Amino acid sequence: MKKKEALWFYLLVLPWVIGFITLTLGPMIYSFVLSLTDWDLFTPAKFNNFHNYIALFTTDKIFWKTVYNTLYYAFISVPLGMAFSLFISYFLNRPIKGSAIYRTLYYIPATVPAVASALLFKWLLAPDAGMINRFLALFGIDGPAWLLEPAWVKPALILMSLWTVGANITLLMAGIKNIPSEFYEAASLDGASPIVQYYQITLPLLTPVIFFNVINGLIGALQIFTQIYIMTNTGGTTIGGPDNASMMIVPYLFNNGFRFYKMGYASAIAWVLFLLVMVLTLLVFRSSSAWVYYETEVRRS
Amino acid sequence: MNKIGLIEKIMTYLILSALGLLLAAPFVYVISMALASDATSAKLTFTFIPHEFRWENFVRVFTSGLKFDRFLVNSLILVFFSMLGQVLVSSLVAYAFARLRAPGKEVIFIILLATMMIPGEVTLIPQFILFTKLHWTDSLLPLIVPNFFGGAYNIFLLRQFITRIPVELDEAAQMDGLNFFGIYTRIILPLILPALVAVAIFTFVWNWGAFFGPLIYINDVNKMPLALGVQILSATNSAGQIPPWNLVMVGALVLTVPMILVYFFGQRFMDQLSLTGGSAGIK
Repeated sequence: MKKKEALWFYLLVLPWVIGFITLTLGPMIYSFVLSLTDWDLFTPAKFNNFHNYIALFTTDKIFWKTVYNTLYYAFISVPLGMAFSLFISYFLNRPIKGSAIYRTLYYIPATVPAVASALLFKWLLAPDAGMINRFLALFGIDGPAWLLEPAWVKPALILMSLWTVGANITLLMAGIKNIPSEFYEAASLDGASPIVQYYQITLPLLTPVIFFNVINGLIGALQIFTQIYIMTNTGGTTIGGPDNASMMIVPYLFNNGFRFYKMGYASAIAWVLFLLVMVLTLLVFRSSSAWVYYETEVRRS
Repeated sequence: MNKIGLIEKIMTYLILSALGLLLAAPFVYVISMALASDATSAKLTFTFIPHEFRWENFVRVFTSGLKFDRFLVNSLILVFFSMLGQVLVSSLVAYAFARLRAPGKEVIFIILLATMMIPGEVTLIPQFILFTKLHWTDSLLPLIVPNFFGGAYNIFLLRQFITRIPVELDEAAQMDGLNFFGIYTRIILPLILPALVAVAIFTFVWNWGAFFGPLIYINDVNKMPLALGVQILSATNSAGQIPPWNLVMVGALVLTVPMILVYFFGQRFMDQLSLTGGSAGIK
């Protein structure tokens, strides 16, 4: 009976195991081997030791810029989005009528596919005819050319990322709903104001949700592609904005692999991205003991 | 809940409304652009508040040789088969992980969880080479077939869901002579129906707007899903040529509306499976 059960187990997980070997494990090994070669898809691949990696870190100036741009985008857009979500969720959670309507309103932008929002924001951020600069003009502000200016293209992308904070808000609201109301009742009896209650109760108990969101947001931001491809296409086949000011890791990988057919070099970029994601995730995990509160700890004290 | 003063109430409404209007404004603009005439579109003189109402734009994208009908059908094929694969295979694998005992199970499960942390870019190029060798480019196969191997995230969520079903049900079914596959089809599947709907919705959401995969695998306009088709319409080949922005925005809306509908009708299913959704589930 036990043996039969085990056989059934192996049989039933077989589809996933086959997928894992053919689409994940095999490709990972292959990708690593490729990253040690020069290969243009057409002529035979040539091993070049670690030249791809050496080139990435020493001679390829665009790659460094790419890493800087990606980190700049991730490190600003993720915390800013989190702060914005927390700010809104505080007000959404006040006992007012119609808060469900507001919640829906804030969530809808998060459902818009990246292609649609990128096409739309390309327009909103247009220098003269764009809605954002026309709005700023109402206050006498002469808006920048956003996507066309090296200094403004990353802030523009960060601004756009704030439009989709609704997904964060939804998770935060679910987290807030799980906080026992006794905590607030006790705090009210002690005379704590709503803002004090927010800082002393809501925020600490939300830290696991915030942690989850930060990790997810960071991994997503490091892999930004669609917005760059669509919004900072400076004509023809060039992507990455003015002076490569918005060239990020995945678009750079795409350019090398699928425009220039440098498959080995593109694979090396993929591995650097993988390591970067791993290291940053690990750092956030490491830092979590300092700022993430788990309910079990609360119960113990 | 504590009471709230009048001034605070007004403040709350003001802040929520002001930010809400800012977030909603792009929608007004996209609708205004989508309803603009070709003349307005060519001169790029769009207004924020719609001043033209060319509803026929919504018909034209399907009829005037822009192939939106084709794109839409391709997108529907893509999401339907992706959902089918994920629901069938992920639930089967999840059942095995939740219920069956076998040596090495824990190790396999840890590997499964670990794969969730691998960014897709690492496997991208070898997968591209594999699918090219199989002559699957210019078809939806590279986008659909991987779903028939199950997804780690879906398997994990469904496994959590299945473990909440009392094991006594399985044992009773076993006494009645059902084998493990029978338990899966007769006992487990009907009980996890809401979770399967949630997995289908997640799969819809991930595939409907997918862009990177279609971009590298599909060059043939007739095979493109909607997201790529809309982008292609917006990209001009020669400098100085202005894309039909009004029709591009119609495309953006056609791409967006199903997502909003899925959110409205699917929210309660997704809540049941979300990581923070608490203990909702099997009663």
